[in-house]
Amino acid sequence: MTLAALLIPLVGGVLAWATPGRARGAVAVLAAVAAFVAALFLPTAAPVDVAWLPAFGAGLRLDPSGASSVLVLAAALAMIPTVLTAAVRVRERTGTFLGLLLIMQAMLAGLFLASDLLAFYVFWEAALIPSLVLLGVFGGERRRGAVTKYLIYAVSGSFLMLVSIIAVRVLSGAESFAFHELAPAARELDAVTQGWLFAGFAAAFVVKLPLFPLHSWLIDFHRENHPSGAADVAGTLYKVGGFGFFAWAIPLLPDGALVLQPYLLTAAAVTALWGALAATRQEDLKSLLAYASLSHMGLIGVGLFSLTEIGLAGAMLLLAAQMLSTGGMFLLSGMMHARRGSFALDRFGGLARSAPALAAVSLFVIFAAIGVPGLSNFPGEFLALLGAAQASVFLAAVALASVIAAGVYGVNLYQRLYQGRQVEGTHDLRAVEVAILAPIVAGVLWFGLAPANAADRIDDGARVAVHGPDRPVPAEGGAASEPPLATAGGER
Amino acid sequence: MTGPVPTEAWIVLSAALFLIGAVGVLRRRSAILVFLSVELMLNAGNLALVAFARQWADAGLITAMSGQTVVFVVLAVAAAEVAVGLGILVAIFRQRHSTDVDALSEVRL
Amino acid sequence: MNDPAAWVALAPLLALAGALINGLAGRAMRAPRAGIVATAAVGAGFVLSLIALLALAGRDDRSVSVALWPYASVGGLDLSFGFLIDPLSVLMLTVVTGVGTLIHLFSIGYMRGDDGHARYFALLNLFVAAMTVLLLADGFVLLFVGWEGVGVASYLLIGFWYRTRANADAARKAFVMNRIGDAGFLMAMFLTAGAFGTLHIASVNEAAVGMAFGSATLGAIGVLLLIAAAGKSAQLPLQTWLPDAMAGPTPVSALIHAATMVTAGVYLIARTAPIFAMTPFASAVVAWIGAATALVAAIAAIAQTDVKKVLAYSTVSQLGFMFVAVGVGAYWVAIFHVFTHAFFKAALFLGAGSVIHALGGEQDLRRMGGLGAKMPITGLTALIATLAIAGVPLLSGFFSKDAILLHALTSTHLDGYGTTGLYGVLLLVAVLTAFYMFRWYHRVFAGRFRGDAKTFAAVHEAPATMTVPLVVLAAFSVGAGWLGLPAFAFPNVLQGWLEPATLGGLVSMPFDHPALWVEWLLLGVAVAAAGVGLGLGAWVYVARDGAPARRFGDGAVAAFARGGLGFDAAYRALFVGGAQGAADGVAVLDRDLVDRGLLGAGTALGTFGRAAAAIQTGRVRTYAATMFAALVILLLLLAWTGART
Repeated sequence: MTLAALLIPLVGGVLAWATPGRARGAVAVLAAVAAFVAALFLPTAAPVDVAWLPAFGAGLRLDPSGASSVLVLAAALAMIPTVLTAAVRVRERTGTFLGLLLIMQAMLAGLFLASDLLAFYVFWEAALIPSLVLLGVFGGERRRGAVTKYLIYAVSGSFLMLVSIIAVRVLSGAESFAFHELAPAARELDAVTQGWLFAGFAAAFVVKLPLFPLHSWLIDFHRENHPSGAADVAGTLYKVGGFGFFAWAIPLLPDGALVLQPYLLTAAAVTALWGALAATRQEDLKSLLAYASLSHMGLIGVGLFSLTEIGLAGAMLLLAAQMLSTGGMFLLSGMMHARRGSFALDRFGGLARSAPALAAVSLFVIFAAIGVPGLSNFPGEFLALLGAAQASVFLAAVALASVIAAGVYGVNLYQRLYQGRQVEGTHDLRAVEVAILAPIVAGVLWFGLAPANAADRIDDGARVAVHGPDRPVPAEGGAASEPPLATAGGER
Repeated sequence: MTGPVPTEAWIVLSAALFLIGAVGVLRRRSAILVFLSVELMLNAGNLALVAFARQWADAGLITAMSGQTVVFVVLAVAAAEVAVGLGILVAIFRQRHSTDVDALSEVRL
Repeated sequence: MNDPAAWVALAPLLALAGALINGLAGRAMRAPRAGIVATAAVGAGFVLSLIALLALAGRDDRSVSVALWPYASVGGLDLSFGFLIDPLSVLMLTVVTGVGTLIHLFSIGYMRGDDGHARYFALLNLFVAAMTVLLLADGFVLLFVGWEGVGVASYLLIGFWYRTRANADAARKAFVMNRIGDAGFLMAMFLTAGAFGTLHIASVNEAAVGMAFGSATLGAIGVLLLIAAAGKSAQLPLQTWLPDAMAGPTPVSALIHAATMVTAGVYLIARTAPIFAMTPFASAVVAWIGAATALVAAIAAIAQTDVKKVLAYSTVSQLGFMFVAVGVGAYWVAIFHVFTHAFFKAALFLGAGSVIHALGGEQDLRRMGGLGAKMPITGLTALIATLAIAGVPLLSGFFSKDAILLHALTSTHLDGYGTTGLYGVLLLVAVLTAFYMFRWYHRVFAGRFRGDAKTFAAVHEAPATMTVPLVVLAAFSVGAGWLGLPAFAFPNVLQGWLEPATLGGLVSMPFDHPALWVEWLLLGVAVAAAGVGLGLGAWVYVARDGAPARRFGDGAVAAFARGGLGFDAAYRALFVGGAQGAADGVAVLDRDLVDRGLLGAGTALGTFGRAAAAIQTGRVRTYAATMFAALVILLLLLAWTGART
């Protein structure tokens, strides 16, 4: 079943590519739904270990435990409406678009599930290709610049990561690249070595997170992507830098993380506030969403670099939740574009009158995105900031200020789109749009009201990240003997 | 004068040939002459190889054949190289009616 | 769930169901039906609250916990959702659902003919659902869910008539101001979790009592909770959103922005009373913020010309009274004032709504007057409520306000923080309250009508769905105070009911009761304050026919007061301007500095590359010369090092 989560979208993508005519849309949607169903079974699935390059100690090792299953599931859920949107809205080379989306999903599933560092790297790079092609082939007028920028950022970061990947194995003397062998050995390295190795990982992850000031590719990426918003969702799912820190860099090199913590935590807090402030002054819907998304990434960052179990868990919960809320926002932006042919906010206004249902769903998703409790982003945001406050009250306060700014850009956005005098009416939600938004709404409610199950699984991963893999999982209620807010540094 | 020519003499000859070749490569603009000079340097190397091979074989350290085998390989490679190089030169000459190496800088970045 | 008191846990669900029915199927509902569904949903909640109230009253163990579901449990921090049904929450619930039912009923008449009435009732029900969650929550996180939930509902209802830009702006302002308070709440939770490892309110209260008296951590948590409460309850410095919130339909102002939501701040502090009981510093900040707000808002209320804005500032001012009460440690007194205030302020707002309805949307006091004759029920109920808020003896406001004054003066909790000053400010505000309420009543209902005759001719009393709530609320404005009679002479039901729930038997909050004659004297002073205020009003508006007011009203001082004492203007200049400037700066910097800067780094690399490429002349002979030179150098190096070894 673990392998199925990877193979179903891969095969589905190839099939959707190859299927002629209108049937390919149905094939793609079916594949997305099947992948989601497969992801539902991940929590009970067994790990996979296929020999790949035994001489290098690398294997196709997939482990669905911890945060992986939650992220794969959230991504799979977000992918259903995305594929549906692409099937409906992309007019030319639809098959290519659908195929790329699904292949991207497969690569992301591999990336999340990988428990082998080299396999992780391969999936990391492989997922870049579909997102690049989506932007390069289906993007807007100035896509060339955006592609170049994106590529340069991604590749230069990844190169340094590859150096660190090889070095961490060599220096630690681990038997293989498998997490369970690598982590205990790497954690024994001295702090200075760990710091340098961590910096190599951080180069790739910070760019992909992204953190201020390495975020400018993100804005162009979203601004120039296909107006349906489907490619933006794929891009949103691919903001996996935070996951890299969570699953690899921090658990492998906790002392290195501690060395760089002050800088990274500061950068993350600044990112959160910077993005939110910039979002309040955007005149273009997609730019606004890009900056808002950047702000969320900053919040994920402060959770991660708090290096507390709560903060790390909150960061991953937020990463999963924003797949649905930010993804939903981009799909809604696509619907707005379909109505007006533009993302300029001054082209809209007063639409609540002619499209009340669209307005209601938009407000719902906006509220989810700005972290209103009871909706998807709140639990992660709350826990991430809670963790950050244990590391630095001041930086947590800086990041918290972004919550206020989020209120501003959130209600501003709603006001610009739906309130005020209506100059020109539009149609309300169509049936297919209802079908597109339904999974988003369901996911937002799921993460907002009952995240307990997801949080439990993520917490397993967070515990490994903070305390190391060799530590036995405490029995039920055994956590009470721990100081509940111990940091990674406190452990050593 | 009896006995074989001492190795030092051969090496001095080889060095002189090499220098002549090097100066030719640096000074001549005609591709053909540059080519010839390169061959000269190559054979200067061959001469040194053979001379050393004889000296060490006399000392009983190696068989005389080993150095000469290398020379044969070098000669074979040089022949192949000349074939390809002259072919390229002819092609270039046909295009621009000159074999001035200074005029050929298309391959630069 | 065999416990009848626990049934009230269904109240939020009922209201939510009402909201969903109206929200999803609203367009299929005909005029009164949406309102009936909504009213029934809240009314059922009221019945459940009453059952819980009676069930708890009849026994000694007055605290029922209802576990809901595990929200998240991460890193040893358990954030399970649960409800706590205790005297405090049940009393508040009864008020919210009771007043809520009446206002829903009133709205059926008031909103008839509005094409968004199903949306209106859906939102109103959503508000009640969130408010009941807020009140019932046993943990900070669930409380915060309700806390932001009511903020969202309030935002949507202030901007209910969203087509007018000003309304949407007012809604946005309320939302952002509340968000500032919410940020304080979040930070308070972070510090609490860090200090105690739990966010379960009862556990936090217990742990707080175990801390050192006056500890800095508790003080910080207390001040942060105050920021949260100030945002929701419109206290200084976050008070400016409430007058603007009057942009919403008048019943919304009555329910959300007078009777219930704005008292959530007071409720929050009462709920966390042990934290404040352990930190006189934070308590003093609360009390002085409350006193300052009460004074500022009362001054502003005098100069308002909008029938609703007078009441809005009055609400801010009365909330200031409640903050003083929680500040001095008289938690039950604060809730007592919440209780009485809910009735008379709701009655006043609904009365204003009835007038606005009758005048076809007119809200300017300068074009009203003499309406009492045409609208006898509205006029009489408004008079009763006016007298109640002014503090006329034997009406509800008198008892609760007197209790606050008494405790402000005699509190030992704030020794050294100027309790006499608090008392003086509140006494002054009591005078002002009586004055501006007299003015309000007189301008609307007495004297002669100042608008055009045609409008006056069309004025008629409101239909029964609107007058019945008015009458009920007026009755409670009279009677609600009798639950909390002055304790020195009479049986006091409320104190015994509320005190165990707020302080939880964890700490005691002793008051040095002064001699009996002093208490009587203070009672007399309070009566005199009301008398002075009303007398002043009678002199200005009846004896001199408003002449002094007109002379004053044209001056700069009045204009300053009308603008809310310059807070809005100052904020616009300082914070809104500052924040927008910062945001503009960020937006520009992001494009020009960060992006260009990094592109510049790329360009610099490119330049270096081109410079490096210049070495590549493409001339074979240059290459050969370089190679040769390098070879020579290498050989020389080799020879040199070889010579050394």
